[in-house]
Amino acid sequence: MRRQSDRFILSLALLWLLAAVTAHAQTAPSVDNATCLGCHTDTSLAIKAGDGSEISLHVPETALAGSVHAKHNCVDCHKAMAEIPHPAATFASKRSLGVALVEQCRTCHFANYTKTLDSVHQAAVARGDRMAPLCVDCHGSHDVKSPSTPRTLVSQTCAKCHEGVASAYARSVHGQDVSKGNPDVPTCVDCHRAHDIAGPHKTEWELRLPEMCGRCHADAARMKKYGLSTNVLRTYLTDFHGKTASLRRDQGKPVNGAVVARCPECHGVHDIQKTKDPQSRVIKANLLQTCRQCHQEATDNFPGAWLSHYDPGLHKAPLVFAVKVGYWVMIPIMIGGLGLQILLHLWKLSGAR
Amino acid sequence: MKTVTRFSTLERTEHVAVMALFLLLALTGFPQKFYDHRWAQIVTGWLGGVDTARWFHRAAGLTFGALLAAHVLRLVASVVRRTTSFSMVPTRKDVADAIGTIRYYLGLRETPPQFDRFDYRQKFEYWGMLLGSAVVVGTGLALLFPIQTAQWLPGQLIPAAYVAHSQEGLMAFLVVIVWHIYNAHLNPDVFPFDKSIFTGEISEHRLQHEHTVEYDRLTQAASGTAAPAADTPYRRLPRPAQLVVAPAAGGAFAMLLPVLGVAVVAKAAFDAVTGRARPGRGATPKTADPRRERKAG
Repeated sequence: MRRQSDRFILSLALLWLLAAVTAHAQTAPSVDNATCLGCHTDTSLAIKAGDGSEISLHVPETALAGSVHAKHNCVDCHKAMAEIPHPAATFASKRSLGVALVEQCRTCHFANYTKTLDSVHQAAVARGDRMAPLCVDCHGSHDVKSPSTPRTLVSQTCAKCHEGVASAYARSVHGQDVSKGNPDVPTCVDCHRAHDIAGPHKTEWELRLPEMCGRCHADAARMKKYGLSTNVLRTYLTDFHGKTASLRRDQGKPVNGAVVARCPECHGVHDIQKTKDPQSRVIKANLLQTCRQCHQEATDNFPGAWLSHYDPGLHKAPLVFAVKVGYWVMIPIMIGGLGLQILLHLWKLSGAR
Repeated sequence: MKTVTRFSTLERTEHVAVMALFLLLALTGFPQKFYDHRWAQIVTGWLGGVDTARWFHRAAGLTFGALLAAHVLRLVASVVRRTTSFSMVPTRKDVADAIGTIRYYLGLRETPPQFDRFDYRQKFEYWGMLLGSAVVVGTGLALLFPIQTAQWLPGQLIPAAYVAHSQEGLMAFLVVIVWHIYNAHLNPDVFPFDKSIFTGEISEHRLQHEHTVEYDRLTQAASGTAAPAADTPYRRLPRPAQLVVAPAAGGAFAMLLPVLGVAVVAKAAFDAVTGRARPGRGATPKTADPRRERKAG
């Protein structure tokens, strides 16, 4: 037995060594960076695109210096350029060159690249939208840095295209805290995800939303720091709106495309404020207006129907509490009492005196 | 076999309608109550989604409410016109019958009580049904028209109605499963199926056995040996009081019967332990347990 396991470990070690050597052989540069920069530091180096514009091929010497790819070689990404002189290639525009080059990211970042294929951005690329973002539009091409250090960087990146949303977010309770360096609040990608970004108007995404907010707002450790209740998700889900959302999620398409009220319908989407903020949509003074988004005829008493995520109790919604307790007592007595009489009858019939 | 007509065509129709609506309401209602269970999602799928399920639930609920309103109006009219017999109103005899029956089950009584046209179990079910229907229809309307409800009443009534509707529905369902299915199907006296409410007929034999007081009155009246006995316990009350006292008695009885059974059993157990079960034969706690006695004999 002992021998066998020794041999197994030995063969594993050998295998690892072999893999390491091969990997090293693969990354060993066929053309070093100095060779590339020999030509590409020339600021006038350019080719003509099919649309007549000039594509500059100038690369500053320090292009990779501060990036996460600092230790890589040019030809790790620009594989075809390992051949000198370079094989002839023509591009319709600078964008076409980018689209072609982005394929290179897959070689190393396979998982994220594959996720991107399911994204709303990729759908736009596939539609032929030349403005749709490629890897490099968010991450940069030569100056690739950690996309979320500091975390404010995330919304700045998205803001390059989604400017309106980003400024609303910046004013929100989440956005304000992100700029203070708070690691608990979400950035764009915490809700929308980073690579497999779904269209926010997709039904599946919309109906999954309460759970998404709940990832943080039902997390006791995180909410404790801010004195926020973690009952918000449960109290929503057990209410009429929440049940509708849950039942519709499995059934798919909602009627008339109108999704039931979820978190953002009341709290706002990107401009979410603290519930005590005078600007908040859910502060008592603004609540009726918020209800009227869907219940147009609602009057003053109507918002009272919503218990503001509180569980009914003696101090909050005592009437609801009384009804709840009443049935908790009554149902077991009713069913137990009747069951007892049935059992006694059967006992009598079984021949007991 | 000789039979006696027990239920009118209208009453039989009401029963069938209530049965169908009750099943439809339960089928479309419970998946909403138990929304986070897998089966609820599956049933909602069969029903064509939660919106279709709700449409059927509301349609069935409104029909059920109309049925209830028609029934109550018919009762009120019959009280005002003095054509009702009040045979369904619980009386002191029903409380005594319930206690007597349980004492009979326990072996503390030689013979079971004899019942009139409706026994205490039937009265319990009828009034429980009526009271429960009023609750689910009332709360259902508040939930169907929340904006109109909140125009006149405090908003908190809506979540209260939500809890009451949901729990009352569950309780009604459980009572039907436990009590009605037992009394109309599983009870060895009627197994597998008490058809009276569908055919409207009851055999003379069963009438004599299960509604002895009524049977005796009918046979005596037929043979002319006695004048038809008054089975109208509230006849002497003034009319408006009848409209209040009868449903109040019915409602109270529907709420109290389960407790009554527990109380009788508890008292019997207490008596057995303290040795007061057989006053005539002296206190012998060891043989007070009826089961022991049977085995010994």
